[in-house]
Amino acid sequence: MMRTVGRSVERRGAKDVVRGKALYADDIRVDGVIHLKVVRSIRSHAIVKEVDTSVAELIPGVVKVFTSKDIKGSNRYGIITKDQEILVERKVRYVGDPIALVAAETEAIAVEAARSVKVAYEDLVPFFTIEEAKGCTTEPIHEDGNLLSSRDIIKGDIDQGFAEADVVIEETYTTSMAAHGYLETETGIGTLDERGRIAIYVSTQNPHYDQDDVVAALGLRPHELRIVQATTGAGFGGKLDISVQGLIALAIQHLKRPVKLRYSMEETMQAAAKRHAMVMHYKTGARNDGRVTAVDVRLTLDTGAYASYGLAVLSRAAAHAVGPYEVPHVRVHGELYYTNRIWAGAMRGFGVPQVSFAHEGQMDSLAKALGIDPFEIRMINALKPGSTTATGQVLHASVGIGETLKRVKDAKERRERNPEKRHVKVRPWVKSGWGIASFWYGIGNTGLPNPSTAQIHVDEKGEITLYTGAADIGQGSDTVLLQIAAEALQVSDKDLKLIRGDTGLTTDAGATSASRQTYISGNAVKSAAENLIQKLAQEASSQLTVPLPEIGYESGEFKGGGKTVTMRELAKELHQKGQIPIGEGRFDPPITLLDKETGQGIPYATYTYGTYYAEVEVDTGTGEVSVEHVIAAADVGKAVNPANVAGQIIGGVAMGIGYALMEEFESGKTRSLTDYLYPTSMDVPPVEVIIVEDPEPSGPFGAKGVGEPALIPTAPAIINAINKALNTKILDLPAKLERVMKTVLKSPCSGGI
Amino acid sequence: MRDIKISFVINGEKMTVEIPPNISLLDLLRDHLGLTGTKKGCGIGECGACTVLINGKPVNACLVLAPQINGKDIQTIEGLGTETSLHPLQKAFVDKGVVQCGFCIPGMLMSLKALYNECPVVNQQEVKKAISGNLCRCTGYQQIVEAGESVSKKGRNKR
Ligand code: FES
Ligand code: FES
Repeated sequence: MMRTVGRSVERRGAKDVVRGKALYADDIRVDGVIHLKVVRSIRSHAIVKEVDTSVAELIPGVVKVFTSKDIKGSNRYGIITKDQEILVERKVRYVGDPIALVAAETEAIAVEAARSVKVAYEDLVPFFTIEEAKGCTTEPIHEDGNLLSSRDIIKGDIDQGFAEADVVIEETYTTSMAAHGYLETETGIGTLDERGRIAIYVSTQNPHYDQDDVVAALGLRPHELRIVQATTGAGFGGKLDISVQGLIALAIQHLKRPVKLRYSMEETMQAAAKRHAMVMHYKTGARNDGRVTAVDVRLTLDTGAYASYGLAVLSRAAAHAVGPYEVPHVRVHGELYYTNRIWAGAMRGFGVPQVSFAHEGQMDSLAKALGIDPFEIRMINALKPGSTTATGQVLHASVGIGETLKRVKDAKERRERNPEKRHVKVRPWVKSGWGIASFWYGIGNTGLPNPSTAQIHVDEKGEITLYTGAADIGQGSDTVLLQIAAEALQVSDKDLKLIRGDTGLTTDAGATSASRQTYISGNAVKSAAENLIQKLAQEASSQLTVPLPEIGYESGEFKGGGKTVTMRELAKELHQKGQIPIGEGRFDPPITLLDKETGQGIPYATYTYGTYYAEVEVDTGTGEVSVEHVIAAADVGKAVNPANVAGQIIGGVAMGIGYALMEEFESGKTRSLTDYLYPTSMDVPPVEVIIVEDPEPSGPFGAKGVGEPALIPTAPAIINAINKALNTKILDLPAKLERVMKTVLKSPCSGGI
Repeated sequence: MRDIKISFVINGEKMTVEIPPNISLLDLLRDHLGLTGTKKGCGIGECGACTVLINGKPVNACLVLAPQINGKDIQTIEGLGTETSLHPLQKAFVDKGVVQCGFCIPGMLMSLKALYNECPVVNQQEVKKAISGNLCRCTGYQQIVEAGESVSKKGRNKR
């Protein structure tokens, strides 16, 4: 019987949050702090001829104005491709590129001075679309050209696959850029700490990466910089990149004074990564019995001015392009282009929300063409243990896609039998429909090592502390990792202290991305706990003079030969001997690199699966869509904290409603939350959460991950429901009023349930 | 600009301060009074993270000029419950596992407090409406609404 894992224990830090006591970076007060403000490009693609800071520097209260000349290191950063500069040197690549940095005694003075920095530009030909980027004959955005990368996946023989097909569906789907929409903007505050290090308290998803890249960019030595993750007001991928960290470190390096930088919401919109817009051409063939025989996909991604996580998004999109189905013949080709739009990076789902819109659109089209029920056609093709994926990976266990389909179907039928639940509205112009969508999501980085490490320490009083580099950005990893540690140590999670996300005190746990912290850091934490027990058992063996194999451990006590010694006693003893009881853990998921030409290999050790159902009502007079009900089933392996899993799923549904119907980030136009609208409490329907637990043998207590997966199938389920309501086919996200109205006007008759 | 003197009651305590006349109530709270529980999100009245109560009614503190609170009664998250005795709304938020990143939460709680100032008996729809000006990107609102409603006094809601 598990005592902590599987229970909705109280979230660590929740009491501080509800009392307004949690310290986000903007809440940390340091005397004599200097305020920073970034001078940003107003051109899309231009040589910077001159940066004139003379007027700004004369303004009383201005301490210094920095340009790239003040940077002593490489001035380059980027998680995969080092193509971004802390302050640009030669040219700007989008409206928002950082050119200079003002340091002043107050924020108001910094803002004013930033306005008086004069920049002389010489414009280059800009590339605003992928077509323009492809046809470039002038100076490309980056030296190596506008094509950043491509990816292929080849399984079987695509021609044979189509030869075997009785029906072929071919469509082109598109999605827009989207914004993360977190309420806490990028913020950090830094000081020189007692050891003379630059210590930055910052809103981040990736403290150890921040440290590595800032150190290199500024020519610091690793021990001269410490990154501490402050309480973080969400990230969704947007705080994986460096934002304020390098600028704050630069200012402290020169001024030796505390400094602070907080992006305004407008700046977050203008100068932080966005979700990649994609064009997805799909050709899918199936036999009359519903079996998919071939999937041929061409993906084109716009990564904007900088690579950021673009390559990871491309790789993951390609690996997930066929959806959670077993398809014998697959060909995927994806290309990633630079343009002079705002840069795109990681956002919840890394390309999978995009491709799932396409593969689930294809599934529904096939179902319609073949006269097969949408649940049925997915069931026929769903992955199961023993299946081979598009990358040639044979799945062995924890493949719960079929179960999620079954459970959603049951819930839907239950709902239909219960007439009270289905209020009938007599408005003939309102059409209703339902739709489903399934997904899969590989946990951890795609075909790349991504280890996590952790330590558990016992002090002389027996107090246990978990050290993890994993950033909790609101998704709940603090609580989940404590639960895993507590379970492995057979103690209460309340008895454990936590030190997290501090490069001065914790070791690298990898990024809070790819929904990897529960599975990967969870495993590292679990092995740290086991290592601690093992070490203490050795000490118990010598103290109790009982051979090690006879020492048993239970709930903080070591027993053997009829004698007992507690963890606390052992720890005290060890401390007195000058030995520190500390358990070390590390986990790197068992994956293989993917073949360069065929993309074959094991990209992920495990996958989360799920199926969502959505009911919509469409007002055919206005194009307005309202989502009436959602049933959401996800196979998470094991829900370490069920309330938390439900929270992720319901939050993912809300974000998915925005992605489906409202959210379109227009580079150069969208300014703030005034014109980037996302769901409020009035836009969300009741969500029925179904947690499926098909345990993952390699997961900590069977767990996989849920953070990103929770979002993925929402938009496709909603679009499939609209398609059913209107008897149409929507190919572009988001389905804003105008787009829906266009299809209403085109469709000769509107069906529905 | 010369500083001006204003007096008000904040979380039950009388206070007089001299401040620049052009700062927002949000900056007064956060930067001058050290009450950082009220959050700055958008700064332009769109997100509700800065919600506080003036004479019991919810406002976006980023849109209020500090001098406007002269003679008024202000309540912020710091005045809602204490460490040892959480307000029932706070307790419900903790017990029901509502909190994710938490940045919207102080504002949400203040909007709900305002709702309950009006009426001790509320239904889910009223809770949803009360927080409709408070954006949350994490939770999808459902658990917030359930927690918000759970402290309603039982009884017929006639409104
Ligand atoms: S900060 Fe005041 S409404 Fe957003
Ligand atoms: S909990 Fe993150 S914005 Fe609401």
